[in-house]
Amino acid sequence: MGAVPIIRLGTTLIATVQEDMRDGDALALQNDLVVLLDRSDINGVLLDVSVLSMVDSFLARMINDIASLVKLMGAHTVLVGIQPAVAITLVELGMELRGVRTALTPERGLALIQRLSAAENGQRRDGH
Amino acid sequence: MTNRETPESIVSNLDERSLLIKQQRQTISELETPVIQVWDGILAAPIVGGLDTARAQQLNESLLERVVASGSEIVILDITGVPVVDTSVAKHLLETVTAARLLGAEVLIVGLSPRTALTLVHLGLDLSGVTTRATMARGLQLAFARLGLEVVRRNGLAGLPPGADGLSV
Repeated sequence: MGAVPIIRLGTTLIATVQEDMRDGDALALQNDLVVLLDRSDINGVLLDVSVLSMVDSFLARMINDIASLVKLMGAHTVLVGIQPAVAITLVELGMELRGVRTALTPERGLALIQRLSAAENGQRRDGH
Repeated sequence: MTNRETPESIVSNLDERSLLIKQQRQTISELETPVIQVWDGILAAPIVGGLDTARAQQLNESLLERVVASGSEIVILDITGVPVVDTSVAKHLLETVTAARLLGAEVLIVGLSPRTALTLVHLGLDLSGVTTRATMARGLQLAFARLGLEVVRRNGLAGLPPGADGLSV
């Protein structure tokens, strides 16, 4: 409940969504991201939703909005921690969150963000 | 000698039987949708028989739980044993693909016959987001590639002789 903590790890922001997010919290999160995206050179935002046992259309829209915002800033959003039951519900309700990349774990999410930005910047790394 | 069942014993038998049927249905259901860890990070789920809503739901639940538990990013769904792939079956498969994608895993569908492929094309379904291969072998090959793995032949030797377990030096 309340503010969503955002941590900066190098060029990635990690936001851990809390339970019981309300309209105000979602807006506050987006505003906080705007401030942080402005302040430093950010390549990606990792959105951790592992605490959520339910994602309704409101939260789905918030996630999509964040992804769009981040994309306009030239960075990538990666969603981690969607629980199996939540995934099934999202699919049943037709909320597929297209346009948002996902990863199984925060580690892989971070690695994915690095690969995506490296690819964009034309750098090639061995092993990828 | 006649053996008349009393009303009470008839009801009791029915209860036992419906319990047995329920248990058997559960067992059949579990047997029909096994999920196999074929490699680190790669799960395989062979589907044999029809794929109705109930089985699709069971498949999704067990599959997604295994994805998270094993940390597998690739799932190979083998539909070689599915005799009829119609709109409803295709939709179930698409749901599995989408749900797994939300978790961060990719689903490869293999075992598609050319006949089935043509049917799907004619049905006009949007399968652009789905990766498919004709066989499990090709699916595995792609899965390895996705994970940055390569299978190479050992230099010199023709491989292990039959009976060797490859564990002792």
